[in-house]
This record gives sequence, C-alpha cells and structure tokens, in this order.
Amino acid sequence: MTRVHPLPTAEGPYPPTEEMLNAPVFEAEQERGAKELRAAWKTPEGWRYVTAVNNSEVGKWYSLTALAFMLIAGLLALAMRVQLAFPGMTFLDADRFNQFFTMHGSAMMFLFAVPMFEAISILILPAFLGARDMPFPRLSAYGYWCFLIGGIFVLGSLLFDAGPKAGWFMYPPLATKDEGIGPDIWLLGLSFIEVASIAAAVELIVGALKCRPPGMRVNIMPLYAWYVLVVGGMILFAFPPLIAGDFLFELERSFDWPFFDPTRGGDPILWQHLFWIFGHPEVYIVFLPSIAIAAMIVPTVAQRPIVGYSWIVLSAVGTGFLSFGLWVHHMFTTGLPQISLGFFSAASEAVVIPTGIQIFAFVATLMVGRVKLTLPMLWIAGALAIFVAGGLTGVMLAIVPFNWQVHDTYFIVAHLHYTLFGGMVFPVIAGVYYFYPFFTKKLMSEKLGLWAFWLIFSGFNITFLPMHLTGLMGMPRRVFTYPESSGWGWLNLISTLGAFIVAAGFAVFVYDLLRPKKAQGEIARNPWGAGTLEFSHDVPEEAWGARSVPHITSRYPLWDQPKLVERMDAGRYYLPDAPDHQRETIVTSVIDAKPVHVQRVTGPAWITILAAIFTGGAFIFPTFHIYTPAIICGAFAIVCVMYWLWTSTARPPKEEMREAGLGLRLPTYASGPQSVGWWGMWITMLGDATAFASVVFGFFFYWTARADFPPEGAAHPVGLWVAVAALAGVAAWALTVAARETNARGQVTLARLALVLAPLAAGAAGVAAWAAVRDLDPTSHVYPAILWALMVWLVVHLAAGVLMQGYCLAGSIFGKLTPRYDADLRNVTLYWHFMAVKALVTAAVLGLAPGWLT
Amino acid sequence: MSDIRDREDAHEFRTEALSLWRITFAPLIWALHFVASYGATALVCAKGEAGAVEALLLGVILGTLVALALILWLGVQAWRQWDPRRDHEWENDKGTSEDRHQFLSHAGFLLAMISFIGVVYVALPVLLIGSCA
Repeated sequence: MTRVHPLPTAEGPYPPTEEMLNAPVFEAEQERGAKELRAAWKTPEGWRYVTAVNNSEVGKWYSLTALAFMLIAGLLALAMRVQLAFPGMTFLDADRFNQFFTMHGSAMMFLFAVPMFEAISILILPAFLGARDMPFPRLSAYGYWCFLIGGIFVLGSLLFDAGPKAGWFMYPPLATKDEGIGPDIWLLGLSFIEVASIAAAVELIVGALKCRPPGMRVNIMPLYAWYVLVVGGMILFAFPPLIAGDFLFELERSFDWPFFDPTRGGDPILWQHLFWIFGHPEVYIVFLPSIAIAAMIVPTVAQRPIVGYSWIVLSAVGTGFLSFGLWVHHMFTTGLPQISLGFFSAASEAVVIPTGIQIFAFVATLMVGRVKLTLPMLWIAGALAIFVAGGLTGVMLAIVPFNWQVHDTYFIVAHLHYTLFGGMVFPVIAGVYYFYPFFTKKLMSEKLGLWAFWLIFSGFNITFLPMHLTGLMGMPRRVFTYPESSGWGWLNLISTLGAFIVAAGFAVFVYDLLRPKKAQGEIARNPWGAGTLEFSHDVPEEAWGARSVPHITSRYPLWDQPKLVERMDAGRYYLPDAPDHQRETIVTSVIDAKPVHVQRVTGPAWITILAAIFTGGAFIFPTFHIYTPAIICGAFAIVCVMYWLWTSTARPPKEEMREAGLGLRLPTYASGPQSVGWWGMWITMLGDATAFASVVFGFFFYWTARADFPPEGAAHPVGLWVAVAALAGVAAWALTVAARETNARGQVTLARLALVLAPLAAGAAGVAAWAAVRDLDPTSHVYPAILWALMVWLVVHLAAGVLMQGYCLAGSIFGKLTPRYDADLRNVTLYWHFMAVKALVTAAVLGLAPGWLT
Repeated sequence: MSDIRDREDAHEFRTEALSLWRITFAPLIWALHFVASYGATALVCAKGEAGAVEALLLGVILGTLVALALILWLGVQAWRQWDPRRDHEWENDKGTSEDRHQFLSHAGFLLAMISFIGVVYVALPVLLIGSCA
C-alpha cells in the first residue's frame, strides 16, 4: 500500500543506558509531572463516581459484584443442603429446588467464575505490566455495567418464582418445552453477559500483547500475562459456540423454528455439542487464571524465581489447546460411536500431562526456595491438595465405562466441586490475601485468615468427600428428596453439616475483607517482598497506575533492578507527565516490547452506562416476547456506542509526536496493525467467526445426524438470488478496500464515492439473501430453519458493516478521518475481510451444499 | 547508545521476529488431526457403507503418520533454534533478543512434544476399538 502521508515512527535512543537513567530529575520537574498526572487521572467524586472507567475502580466493582453473586449462589446451595439433610424433607418443594440448583450452577459459572477472572485481571494486569490502564477502559466499564444489569436480572427471576429450572446446561427438549419464561431469562440474560465476557477478553488480550512496558519481551513477561493470553484466546473460541447455540435455542423458543425438535428434523444433541464445546473449555477458562495467581504467589513465598518458566508456558498453552478436545466426555451416554468416545477419552487423559507439569513446577519452586508459610501460601497449599484430588477423580471419569457407571450421580457433584474449589475458589482467595495490600493499601487479618482457611478447608472436605460415596451408592443429582430406605440419609446429613461449616468460613472471610481497617496505619509498599511490578504501587494511593512507565530487563524487576522503584517514583522513566492533562499509556511491540506509540485512553463517561442500559433493554425485553421496545433499545445502544467512539477514539491528534521521556519521541496516533483498535477488531472478529462457524457446523451436523436432512422433495433456496448475494457481498468488500487505498493515496473524493457505493452493495447482498430463502417456511422443518438462521446471521452482520462504512464516510466528511489519520477505515476494512468470507460461505451453504448433499 | 530505529535484532534473530504464532503450530496440528479424525468417524459411522470403517481406520492411521511427521519436523526445527547444547543455558530469563529467541524455541519444542503425545493418544482408539458400535 502506498501512503502519500506516512505516519511518523518512534525516534530517539533506545534502550536507555545506565548513564541516562542515573541522570537526576529536578524537583520542580518531578512536581510538575505529578501534578499533571494527578489531574489527568483524577477519579470522579460524589455521585459522578459511577462514571469512573479507570481499571482500579471498575476492577473493584467487578470483583465485589462477582463476590456478591457468589454469596447469593452459595446461599442457594445452603438451602438445597437443608432440604437434603434428611429423607423426605419439605423445606423446598420440587419446583423451587429445581430453580435453586439451576441458578446455583448458572450463577457460579456465569456470574462468578468467569467474571471473577475478568475482574481480577482488569484490576491487576495493568499493574503487572506497569501500564497506566487497559487499552479500552470504557469497554471494561461497559462490560461491567452489562454484567451488573444482566446478573441482577437473571438472579432476580428467583424472587418472582420464575427462574430457569432445567439445570445449568439447559438441555432441550426439557428446556425448549418449558412453559414459563425461565429458559428465556437464562438464554437472553446470560447471552448478554457472555457478550460482556468476550469484550473483557478482547481487552485483556490486547492489554497483554500491546501494553507491556518497554523492554518486557515475551520471555520475561509475568506468567500471569501468559495465562491471560491463553485464557482470553480460549474465551474467544469457547463462548461463541454457546452464543450460536443460544441464538438457535431462542429462535426455537420465540418463533418455533425446530432446531432441537426431533419431530421436525431437529436434534437435541446439537445443543449438547454446542453447550459442551463451550462448557468444557470453560472449566479451564476458570482454572487457568486462578492457577496463574498461584504462579505469582509461589515465587514470592519461595523468595526465588519460578522453576521452569518455559514449562509453565508450555503447560498453559498446551492445556488451552487440549481442553477443546474433551467436550464429548460430558456426553458419553448419548450413544455416539465407540471410536468417537475413544477420541475424547484419550484427549481427556492427555490433558492431565500439561496440567500436572505446572503443578510439579510449583512444587519444585517451593522445594528449592526458602518457604515462608504466609496466608496466601496456606490457601495455595489447600488448593493444590483439593485440586489434585479432583483431578484424580477426573482421570477416573475420563474412562468411558466408569463414567457410564457414575453418570449423573453425586460422584460427579463431588468431582466438579473438588476441581472448582481447588482450581478456582482457593487460589482466588489466596490471591485476595496476596493482592489485598496492592488494591486497598491495607493488610487482612492473620488470625481471621487462619480461621477462615480451616473452616472452609475442613468444611469443604466434610461436605464433598462423602458425596463420592453417596454417588457410588447410587444417589442421582438434582433430586429434591429421597426415601429413607435408600440408606443415603447419614451421608447427606454429614454433607449438610459440612456446608454450614464452609458458610461460616466464608462469613469470616467476607467480614475480614470488608471491615474497615482505619486503625491499621500505613503498610509497607511491598509487604510480601515480591519481585513483580504490581508491588511498586504507590502508598498512599494514587490513581495514575505507574508514576512513570519503567524499562524492564528481568522477570522479577523488583529483585533484579535495584534502583527501579526509586527511578519510577522520580519520573525518570517514560511518560512521567501529562502536559495536556490527557490519560495516556505506552504501546509497545508484541514480541520485544519496543515502544511504538503513545495511546490516549478514554476517561470517565456516562455514555458507557447508558449504552449498557440500552443493551440490557435489547436483551431483556425479548424475554417477555416484547419486541418493539427491544428494537428501540438496540438502536439507542448502537447510537450510544457510536457517539462514544466518535467523540473519543482515533481523533486526529493536536501534536503528532510526544516527548515520552529519556529522549524518546513517540507518535501519538497509530493506524492499522500498529494500533490497539486494529488488534481489538481482529480479535473480536476471530470470536465472531467462531460463532458463525458454529452455526454452519449445525447445518452439517444435521446432515450427518439425520437421514431426512434435507427432507425429500424439500424446496431449496433460489440459486439466482444466492449468487447475487455472494457477488454483492464481495462487491461491498472490494469497495471498502478501494476506499482504504484511494484514501491513503489522498484521493478523498474517490474514497467517499466508494464509501457511498459500498453500503448499497451490502444492502443488495442482504436483500438478495433474504429473497433466496423467503419462500421457505422455517417452522416446517429444521432444513429451512437453519437456512433462515444463516440468512439472519448474514443480514445482521451486513447491517453492522453498513453502519461502519457510514461511520467512515461521516468521518471523512467531517474531518475525523483523513488520508493521514485513517485508523477507523483500516479497522472497518478488517471487519469487511471477514464479512466477505462469511458472505461466500453462507452463499456456498445456501446455494451449493443442497446439491452436494442430495 | 543505540537508536530505536536500528533493526539489528531483526536481522540477527529473524525467524520469529514476526509473531508468536509459531509456537502454536504444533498444537494446531494436533487440533486439526483431532477434528479430522472425529469428523471422519462421525461421517463414516452415520453414512458409511460396508467396508467404510476399514477405509476410515486406514485413513486415520495415515493422517496420524502425516501429523506426527509434521510435528516431529517442527520439533526438530525448534530444537535446533533452542540449541541447549551450545550454551547450557536453560532459563532464558534475560531481557535480550537471544534469550527471547531461545525461549520461544524452547516453548515451541515443548509444545511439539506435548502435541506429539496428544496425537498418539487420539490415534489409539482407532487401533484398539476399530468399530462404530
């Protein structure tokens, strides 16, 4: 591509020499910088506090909300344990019990485990990286508000006795035939939260790749950042199949398109596949970031670098991949071919290898170090013990005949709680104790911590260890009561007692977490003697993240770079000031973290809250089958998001270059692969493409699973219209690319012309796709239904593409987008690359596949 | 003092200067092998005619050999680049381009090993079970 006006690149000395770093900073200079930064990063006060978008505020709200949802889900569990304490209890009736166990599982997974990872990462990842904030703070805030609204909506349904009650995996036909609105609340409420999760994943991946401090190459970045990368990638490939499944499921619930109805060619097993392609990686999505916390705590307590850094990276990446080959082990009893079961059994055994490696690496680090048994370490030790027990029953469950034997019994309940408590709850609590001084500048109580640990640890084992036996004796999951003659009574009573001990432990923990600690006074800056950057934080609190962004040359900079903290404080490093009182952070290259440019980040705003409220409306109204207000809310949500993008992202800068400190001059604007926005778009589109692939998978799944797909004598899409849709879709893509190229060459009029024609072509593609299937009746059989679903998917994406083209056209006319500053157009072109592929694949499935398959 | 525009790193250790993707190639082969084996089995067991299962077994075995050969090749590449025999340096924990270079190849080598084992595991059911029922 030729550019008439190339953007400037970084210039100046790099890396900084010792001599440069030794040069003192004058006091007046230090004070000026601190004052400017304080002004730029000021947290809004009073009722405007809710408009804050800084990662430290959003991260705190996010974690506390997830904790609150966890406690509510825990109370549901207690109520269930009371009901099961004795045979024939009537504390809960069957219907309420069903709602409770469904909500307990759903809330623990969707409202606690995954959001908690995102919350903690938003809170601490920038600190690990010495970054001022995440690259898209308003996106985190938007995600948080969506999460809060969605969570309250889903949990609130219990108060109206309207909660979902088909179990956390919502199997059809039980869930599709449910008369109430429970399944709709589950589908729409949680889809809404899944979107927020993907948003957070995009943010975290871009943060770990592009917002590392200068010099922090991939081989020295904190292990936590590696785990964030892996887990973010997993979310991108695991959540979209579930979103695609939700899409089909809701179409069946609302419009009677028979995707899961066997009488009209549908198949409930497709839901199980889509759910578990999400559901199994989900377990690792929950586990890996928690074990990442252990990877940060273990070196600190051992007071030495982690042993086998590369091995842990191997383990994280390897687990990330292998965990996608396990999903059918939740479906061993569905009658799939033996060989197929064998594949999944084998992969389930193989995943133990990388999981084991990381645990051995931790143990090795502890063995060669000098361990101080602090509270965080105690919780990590508890986690390892419990997780290993859960892992061993997991190996048993990977074996098909054993799995058949204990399928759907309390043995499964015991296994999954051992893995999740050991793999998630304990390490997260360890993390809370460990990072507490970082985010509140106080320490938690040693004494209360010991009480909480022993209560939860012993209570947990008293509750769940007997459940293995209860399960082996044949007690099925999800029964609201059982007869005395079963002989399970005493085991259930023990479990119930244990559950109350766990609850007491949590009460102690939460009290210690939230009680005011005014009397404590000022704490040491690095109370555990950690080696990683988050403990260079300011005490007392400052909102700027890092006083100056350091140059990093070691995995444990606080141990190996002796003058680091002093120089950071003095503003000796990068971005020590904020002359325009704008929030900024430094963006570096992916592999070697060379400074690339200075990124302006967005500040406090109401618009994110408004956008979340309208998005909520768009998801929540359809639950009650009210569609007009939903569409209006959707439209307003789009307007809000566009307003926020227009007013605060990728605006042409006042100054092209910025003195970034240490003689380095960095550009203030980036476009294409250099910019964080481009990475955000690319990563989002990977997730979107996965969802699309899942819908296409549905088409071919029906073909393999059903002899009547397509049914004999079925009407097919109109070939001519399919061809028009494909051609017009490709034309819209070509025109977008042409707009980018002509714009970069300075031919602005031509570019605008292309941006006028492109939406027209896209519109034509959408109309043609609709015309191709309009004569088919989607309620008659799954064949026309899946074709319609593909059409709807394509049209919605075309519509989004049209809005983006219009946004660029407006940008060009109003001076936001120029030949030199064309980030928006480059991002939109990237969207359209994916769009072109989607249009062609959809056309191939609509137009060609029926010919091949019959 | 060096200038940020100098590109000597890129010449010296050109191989992975482009991206992190390389370390995922071996697991990606595992994933492709897995999906292909599973997809082919589902197809053959649902739609296959007599004799198709034998063809499937042969196909999976051939596919496995190809996948293993590719992973082995990636592993050897990574081993050469890592070259632990040259400097007996295992940690690669310094902020230099050499350590970054060796770290990436070490991780790539380990991932090739785990992918190799994964592919062998997935191929086992075909050898041991060999029927759809």
